This record gives sequence, structure tokens and C-alpha cells, in this order.
Amino acid sequence: MKRAGVLAALLLVTGQALAQASPDEQAQGLLEDGRAYWLKQQYKQALDNFNTIVSGFQQTDSVDDAWLEIGRYHLEVENDPAKAREAFDRVAKSYPQSDGAPGAYYYLGLLTMNRALAPAEIDDALAQFGRVQRLYPRSDWVPRALYASGLAQRKAGRYAEAVEAERRVSLEHPTSDVAAAAQFQIGHCLALQGEFRQAMEGFQHVRNRFPESSWAGLALLRTTALYRLFGGDKPVFGLDVAYAPASGDLLKDVGAILMTPERTLWIASDKVKSAVPIGLDGTRGASLSGEDLRTLTLSPRNEVVLAARSAVRVGARDIKSFAAPGDKPGELEVLDRIQAAAVTQAGSILIADGKHKRVLRYDTAFEWKGAFLDARPREIRRILQDGEGGIALLDTDEKSVRVYDEAGKLLRSIVARGAGYELKKPLDVAIDPFRNTYVADADGGVYVFNPAGALLLTLSTPELRRPSALTLDGDGAVIAYDEKAERIVRFK
Amino acid sequence: MRAGLLLLLVALSATPGYGQDAPYASEAQQREMQTVQELLVRASAEFDGPQQSRSIVLFEDMIARLEELRRQGTLPPRGKEILVQSYEMRGRAYYNIGLQEKASESFRLLIQLQPQYAMSKDKVSPKVVDFFGSVKKALVGYLAVSSRPAGARVMLNGGFLSLSDFFPMDVLAGEYSVEISREGYQTEIRNVSIAPRATETLQVELVRTAASAFFITDPPGVEIWVDGESRGVTSGSLSPEFFEMARAKGMDPGRASARTEIANLSLGSHLVELRKKCHETVSVTLDVPEPRDYVPEPVRMEESLATLTLTSEPPGARILLDGEALGVTPREIEGVCAGKHRLEVKHAAGKFLKDIVLAKDEGLTLDCPIRPSLAFLGVVAQSAAGERNLAAVEERLVQNLSKIATLNFFTPPRDTVDRILEQEKVTRLGLVSANRADADVVRKATERLAEALEVQGFLVAVLPDERLQRTAVLNLLAAGNAVPDPWEVTWNEGASYLRFISAVDQDVTLYRPWSGLITVDTLLHDGVPVLRVAPGSPAALSGIAPGEVLYSIEGRPVKRTADLLAALESSRIGDKLALHLRNAAGTSRAVELVLGQTPQEIPLNDPSLLYNKVMMDLRQQSEGYPGTEGAAFASLNLALCAMHFGDYAAAHDFLLKARTALPQRPGLSQGTALYYLGLSLENLGSEYRKEAAEAYRAAAAVKDATLFNNDGPAVAPLAARRAQ
Repeated sequence: MKRAGVLAALLLVTGQALAQASPDEQAQGLLEDGRAYWLKQQYKQALDNFNTIVSGFQQTDSVDDAWLEIGRYHLEVENDPAKAREAFDRVAKSYPQSDGAPGAYYYLGLLTMNRALAPAEIDDALAQFGRVQRLYPRSDWVPRALYASGLAQRKAGRYAEAVEAERRVSLEHPTSDVAAAAQFQIGHCLALQGEFRQAMEGFQHVRNRFPESSWAGLALLRTTALYRLFGGDKPVFGLDVAYAPASGDLLKDVGAILMTPERTLWIASDKVKSAVPIGLDGTRGASLSGEDLRTLTLSPRNEVVLAARSAVRVGARDIKSFAAPGDKPGELEVLDRIQAAAVTQAGSILIADGKHKRVLRYDTAFEWKGAFLDARPREIRRILQDGEGGIALLDTDEKSVRVYDEAGKLLRSIVARGAGYELKKPLDVAIDPFRNTYVADADGGVYVFNPAGALLLTLSTPELRRPSALTLDGDGAVIAYDEKAERIVRFK
Repeated sequence: MRAGLLLLLVALSATPGYGQDAPYASEAQQREMQTVQELLVRASAEFDGPQQSRSIVLFEDMIARLEELRRQGTLPPRGKEILVQSYEMRGRAYYNIGLQEKASESFRLLIQLQPQYAMSKDKVSPKVVDFFGSVKKALVGYLAVSSRPAGARVMLNGGFLSLSDFFPMDVLAGEYSVEISREGYQTEIRNVSIAPRATETLQVELVRTAASAFFITDPPGVEIWVDGESRGVTSGSLSPEFFEMARAKGMDPGRASARTEIANLSLGSHLVELRKKCHETVSVTLDVPEPRDYVPEPVRMEESLATLTLTSEPPGARILLDGEALGVTPREIEGVCAGKHRLEVKHAAGKFLKDIVLAKDEGLTLDCPIRPSLAFLGVVAQSAAGERNLAAVEERLVQNLSKIATLNFFTPPRDTVDRILEQEKVTRLGLVSANRADADVVRKATERLAEALEVQGFLVAVLPDERLQRTAVLNLLAAGNAVPDPWEVTWNEGASYLRFISAVDQDVTLYRPWSGLITVDTLLHDGVPVLRVAPGSPAALSGIAPGEVLYSIEGRPVKRTADLLAALESSRIGDKLALHLRNAAGTSRAVELVLGQTPQEIPLNDPSLLYNKVMMDLRQQSEGYPGTEGAAFASLNLALCAMHFGDYAAAHDFLLKARTALPQRPGLSQGTALYYLGLSLENLGSEYRKEAAEAYRAAAAVKDATLFNNDGPAVAPLAARRAQ
């Protein structure tokens, strides 16, 4: 329903009652109804109510809250940062004394943080969050702003500062709606700092203090993963002999496997020419079809990104082909030897072009935006994003894994040879939430490296003869495809 | 002599309470007396001066004013004294200047006013005294009255003259009706004519109409109740003539009372009760068949005492029994009178109140938990509509809030509260509303109120401006704090108060049972692996090591850390728990762990807490047990409460106190206080940044200090970060 229509209908339906209510009361009613729609996920109806307030009740006390909700709609439903920013800016500038103002600064900070690529941009986001704490110290938005400050610091790699910010949420706002999330972040950032035992305590606090929160289950996965790696003198993985998620043709010619956070295992098999999702109970979901399937990754919005030789599919959307300048100057050439694809946190789509041994960057509209990294030829078999915004490239020529930031700056690498290992035929790579890197080497098993590139463990057992694809379960268990035995094994 | 008289008069007129004693009928008469007083001072000065005659005009003015009051029937006793004095002095002044006629007139009027008046030759010239005597002789005769029995009231024309028997008294010559009356006897009336200089004597035999009873008690001071009415108290000491009788009854005559008469007893049977504090009441039946004297047997009163043993938490509280101070707790008080008593046990942190009844020889032991007191300062309306409901709201609030169990809830005298608030220039609303007075003003006002009312907190109810007057906002404010905890209730719904009462009655737990085991949940174990053992903890003392897996407590399986926490929650400090653990090799072992205790921090922002109530409870700890570790942790938590209210200056003060008193050991300790000290200083403004950094640095240097509790996160890394 259009805004004017809503207003007219409202006036008709409620007639006498509305005539008696003051504009403030009417606007308040619309706002509350809109929020109720939002909770029921009836976002369009909610938006109509909010728009009615900002167009028909501009002088009321509810108008700032309505703009705030409109901004949220654009940010969270439409994924339109520009429109969201416009709405939040309006609240911050036009209604600086209102209840909505701290919320506007909070969301402006989030928008700035989400698009930030450089430390200076993150500092801009921190300034917005700081404004909430400084200008509105008694506002309900303070704990959220503090929490978001921690996330921003984490994004900047300033883990100690992140812990401090989240600790303040935990200390000063222990019953706020972000307290459990903040406690989880404490554990996470401590783990990123290499303080694994403290990190386990941090995660355990989530379970002890917020057992009913959605973070408690995730914390259990994290403590399990950390304890397996760092609970004893050395990491301990044991083969899960009962694990057999699939059978038959699906296990032939498997190009990639992927475990999602919901614990659905995707298997991309050229034999069945599709990627098939298998739930925890063994049931198969709707598959994604394609030929010459290469890689499976997750986008930042947790959509499955399936790369095939000549196209890439992001989630349930139609398969897309890509073009880039080729051998003929001035002409775009359709990519027909795609090796890998991934979507970055900033929204770029990275495609490994096997023909020209390069990595290309595309925007969200699938428009070519240039090369990722320098022009040096690279035989990239896998691209994936780690949890901290790092982009890992598995180079089969160089037999290395290199991790870059969004701007192409090298962050860390695992080279072909090091203390206790030699990568002979690396075919797949996975990175856990703590930035430990797992490399499937067809001739050596699965190697586990810490973020500094030191070998932690080699998984090499008779049951795993020729690992060619790899993924990690949420609790840190390693799931590998053995192309020789044509089976999937799990080390837990 | 004259100077002496003047001094006396000046002293009398300057006595501040003088004017208040006389029952003046009106302000005009009061002013008249004041004028007379002033005239008396001046007249007396003139009388004693070189020209005494100048006093005459002043005395005449006074006499005119006082006679007018007398005519109106409003002459106070002191006015009569001054009038008599004025007549005397005016007469003397006339006499001294040779105007004897005038002097005679003055003295005559004086004698008519007070026939028994006499002048002394020691003080006044003998000539004047003689002259006065000659005037008096011409005006007065003499009356003597004796009665059987004596002690009857003698009234002369309705005015009291004296008790019989008396010697001849000066009476103005004239006709009189003389009334002789005594309780229990028939009143006799005689008409007499008294001539100047003549003496009339009356002898009257009174006819008895009621009986009297004479009581002797050991000891004296016994109240005599006849048929439920208090009729007198035995007193004095026994006359020797009754000693034998007393001895015969086993009494010590030296301790017995005099015979105490209870007169005017009607004929018939009477229930007589002899009551004395701390003694058993004696009841006797007294039969009075005829109007005569009765002498019941002397009564020896038996003492009725009990012993009261009082302890309190905290100790050192003042004991008041029926308002009488009896030392401090803990105390055994012997010789407490049996019967009903009001017991008050008062401490700076609160009080314990109880009405007790002690039986003879009873030994009553009472533990007196000291509770903070909450003064209900009243209801304030923010609209005219609310004003109409004030009384009803107040009644409902008092009725419901009296159910609060952890505080002594009471309504203090309104005038005391009003007086202090007026002196502090703050209103009830100004203490608690959003636009309340300056924090220092509120703080000082509540501190003064707390001292005057002997309370630790206050409640002010506010009726907001709303169309339907349904809501009352209960504002709870601890003494010395400046920010209230508001709580909304529907004032005429009893159920609406229950949540508030439940929040108020929430206990503050400073200590919890503690194992020192920090375990972690994993999907890898059937049990919980020990991640860390807090240094110095019960787990450390039991030899439990990280890496071991705890799989049962008291025979119950431990699958998750929550199972361990639940076991601790249901245990008490000092309890022994049987644990079973498995090591990395899979070997099991049993461990007995004696639970210790860990102090707890109050969460900085917990909506379920009424922080003002928490502060009242914590003050009880800090003031009740000064110098103890508990008091130090209470101070630390008081600082957290102050921080909750954004009062970082108060937090700073509490932390300074806590810092030195807290223990130096792993866990919640001095390092914790130093960290929060840094936080307070940081929030006090940029001018304290340097001091804040120093506090953080000091906190960072304290090894193993934690936040929250002894198992909480380490202070050092957090403090080190903030020190930068």
C-alpha cells in the first residue's frame, strides 16, 4: 500500500477514534504497529507505517524513531547501505536531542564499519560509536555502541582493544541484549590473540552466564575446537569411524565439499553434475546443478557460492558467467576456465581465471572491476575468506597458501616447505575461526598450521590416502574427501 | 532594702517564662500584664529613689489596670500578688509623706483583698507596720475550725480557706457560710457572723457515709487499684506502732510503707489489686459492710524478674528496653521486670524492634537481626487530580508496604521531616523527581533526615500527571545517595506491590560457595575438563590439576559446567563435596573438596536490582563489621552501586576505603579496587587522567587479581590496556 493510501485508509477506518487522538498518540500508535509488523517479519507493512509517520506526522515525537526504523529496513532488509545512511543521517542531524539520535549514530557507525577497508575508516566508525557513549551516556544504545566498537577494533586487527571494549559491555551492561554476544567476542578475540586458554574461559562464560542465549551453543563449538587443539600438550584428532554422510555416485569425482554453519554438508560432484546438501540426519536438500564443478565457499551472508568451469552461482540465484579483458585488447572475453570463486566481506566477487592464471574482481552486479593482486601469473585452485576478512588463495604452482586483505596486501602465508612438512600436492584449504589453516595435500594428508604459519599437526592415517577436498565442522572437526577411496572421512 | 526589692522585681519581670505561666484570657490581657510589669519596675525604682512620692502615680496606674482585670475575672495569681504589693507600697508612700488618710485607704483595700496579709517589722518601718495593724484590726475578725476527724476542707463563702483543724485565721468582718467537707463524710454547713477583732470557733463532728481502708505494703510504691480504678500509691515508712503487726506477717517493718488510706469506699465488696512494676500483682477482696475504717493485712509484694540475653548481627548494637538504655549487644541482662516490653536494638546500620512479654524467672534469648529502616516520607502529586487522592494512596501504600520483610518500614513524624526539608531547602519531590535538586543538596538532606529519624533509606511516592489517576511511582532512595530507584505501581491494586516488595526483599549475597575449579564444556568428553584451578582455592588445596576431567559430584553425573555450578549453588560454604575425576590416561580418582567462599561483585547494571536497597544492605555490612574483610567487600560493592548511578566521586571515596582494607591475594582483592579506582577517576574527567593511569598501573601490577569473583577474568591485562 502506498503511504498516502495507508494514511487515508487509517483515517477512514479509525475515523472517530483517531479524530479524538492527538497527532502524537496517532504517530505513536503507527510506530508501535510498525514494530509489531517487523517482529512478525512483515517488513513491507512495517515500512508503510514508518513512512506514514515521516510524511504525515512530521511534528510528532515519533518521527525520529520512524526514520530510524526506515534506516534499519534499508540496511537489514533491502541491503541498501546508501538509503540506510540517508535515513540515519536525517535522524542524527535533524533530531540530535531525540531518543533516536544515539541509535542513528550507532547505525551510521555500523555502516561505516561494514564498508571500511582501511584503519582510518574503522576509526571513523569508532568515532560514531564513541559519540553514542559520550553524548548519550544513559541511552539504551550505549551497550550496543560499545559492542560494535569491539567489532570494529577486531576488524582492524586490534584484538586487545576489542577485548577491552567487549569487556566493558560485559562489566557495565551485563544484562543488555548484546551482553552474551560481547562475551562471545571476548573469547573470540582472545583466541585471535593466541590466548587460547583464556579464550576457552571466555567462551565458557557465555555458557555459564547466558545459557539460554543463541551464543551458548556456538560457544560450545568454539570451546570444543579450541580444546581439541590446545587443551592438552598437543592437538588430538581421532577418526570418526561412524561418519558416512553420503554414498554412491555422489562420492565420485568430488571437486569440493563445504560444511555450513547450520551443519549442512555440501558435496560438489562432477559425476552427478551437481552440488548436493546433506543435513545432519542424512537427508538431502535441493541441489545446485552444474558442470565441471570447482569450488564451494560461503558468502558473508552465508550463501553457498558454487564455482563451475564457466560460471558461478551465488546462493539460489541464477548462475552467472563472467567476462574480463582477454588476449584481444579492448575486448572482454568470457571466462571459460574458472578455477575458484568467493565473495569477500566487502561484497566483491573474486574469480580465479585458470586460462590467464590471474584473480579478477567483480562487484555485486557482477561487473568486472579489475585484477586482484599484481599481474604475476598464479595457478589458483581455491579462494576462501577467513572469519577476519582475510582472503586465502591456494596456489598449486607455488604450492602455497597466501592470505591477503581486501586491498590485496599480503597478511600471512604458508609456503611449500617448512619445519616438519612439505606441501607436495596441495588441493584444498580451510581456515578455522581462529585463523588456523588446514591444507589438504593429496600426497601428504591434512596439515594444520597456526596463524604464524607453523605446523601444528599432520593428519595422515591409512584411512585418508589422498585428500583432495576439505572443510571444517563448526566444532573444529576436519572433514576431508579421499579421492582415492572415494569417501568422506571426519576427524573429530 | 529598697534596692533589694527593686532587684527582685527586675528579676521577676525579666524571667522569660513568667508571662507564659499565667492563664491569660487574651492577648490584650497579656499585654496589660506586661505593661503592669514594666510599671512595677519603674514604680519600684521611684519608691526606692530620693522622691518616693513620685511612685504613687505609677502605683495608681497599676492598681487601676489590675482592678480592671480583677473586675473582668481575669486577674492571674501573679497579678493579684502585684496588686497586693502595689496597695502596700502606695500606702507606705502615702504614709511617708504624711497622707495617713490615703495610706489608710490603701491598706484597707489591701486587707479586703487579702485579709491574712501581714507586714514584718524586720522589713518595713515599725511605725508603718503599726499603722497597718491598726487599720487591719478595724476590719478583720478571726475564725477557727476543728473537725472530727480532722483534715476536712473548709470553704468560706465558696472560697477555700484551709484544712481543718486550724488556729484562728484573719477573716474580714462580716457574715459567712462555712462549709466543712471530707471524702466519705457528710458535708456540714455553718453560718457565722464575724465582728472586727472578734474570734469565732467552730467544732464539727462529721458523720461518716463511706468506708476507708488502710494499706501497708512491702515495699512502698505499690499502686492500689479498686474495682479497676487506680486509687492511690503506698508511700512513706511505717509508723513504729505497727511494727509488731508487720513482723507478725513476716515483713521487715523497715521496708514497709506507711498506712495508706483509700477513702470513700462504697459499701459492698471490692476487688483490690496491688500492682508494682517488677512485682507480682496481688489481688484481694475487701468486704465493706458498713462505713468505717478497715485495715487489711499488710502485703508483701513478690519480685517478678526475668533474664534477657540478646545477640545481634552485626554486634555492638545499643539495647533499649522501654526506652531505657541497657548497653550493647551481645549482652545478658538480669533482673528485667516480667511483663510486656518494647525492645529496640539499634545500630548505625539499622535496628531491630520487637514487643516482648517476659514471664517470671524466664530466661529469654533473642537473636536480633539488624535491618535497615525505611522511612516513608509521603505521597506527592504532580497534578490537581492527584492531590485529591493523596490520603487514599498513602493509606494503600502503607497497608501494602508494611509487608516488606527485610526493612523496618515506618512513617516518621511529618513535622520532623518538614522541618529538616525546609532547613535544607528541598521538597519531597525535589529529592526524587527527574528535575531533582542538586546531588549535594539531596545527599545532605537525606543524611540529615537519616540521622534525625534513625533510618537508612527513604521512600517517596509520586503521583504523575495522568488523566486516570492509577499510577504511583515509588522512589527508593538510600541515605547519602542522590539518585532514586523509581518503581511504578498501580496504587489501588494490592498485587501490583508484590513485585516491588519482592525486589526490595531480594538478598544481597556478598559471598558464595567456591571450589576454584574452572571447567570448560566440550563435545569431546563425558564430563567437564578442568581448564584452570584458581590459586589458593579449595580445588588447588585438593590437588586437582588442569586436564583432569570432572565427571561426578556427590554421585551425580557432571555433563556440563552448569551441573558443577548447580551443585555449588545448592551447597553451603564449608560443605564437603565428593568429586570424581579422570586423568588423561583414563584413570579415575575420588577427591573430597571442602567448599570455600568467594566474594561477589554487584553487577554494574542489572535491571532486576534496586540499587538503593542494595546500598542500604551493603552499608549494614560495612558499618556493622568495620575492619573486617566483609566490610571491605561491601565498600567495593558500594562503589559499584555508586558507579551504577554515575556518581564516580562517591565511588572513588568507597574505593579508597576498600583498597587498603581488601585482602592481597588471588581473586577479588586490592587489585580489583585499584582497577575500579582507575575507572572512577577516568570518569571524573580529564583532569584526573594521570591519577587514573597510576591506579591502572598499580592494578596491572597486582598478580592474580580478578573481576566479578575469584574465578573471574584477570584484572592485570585489562588494567594494563587502560593504563596506556
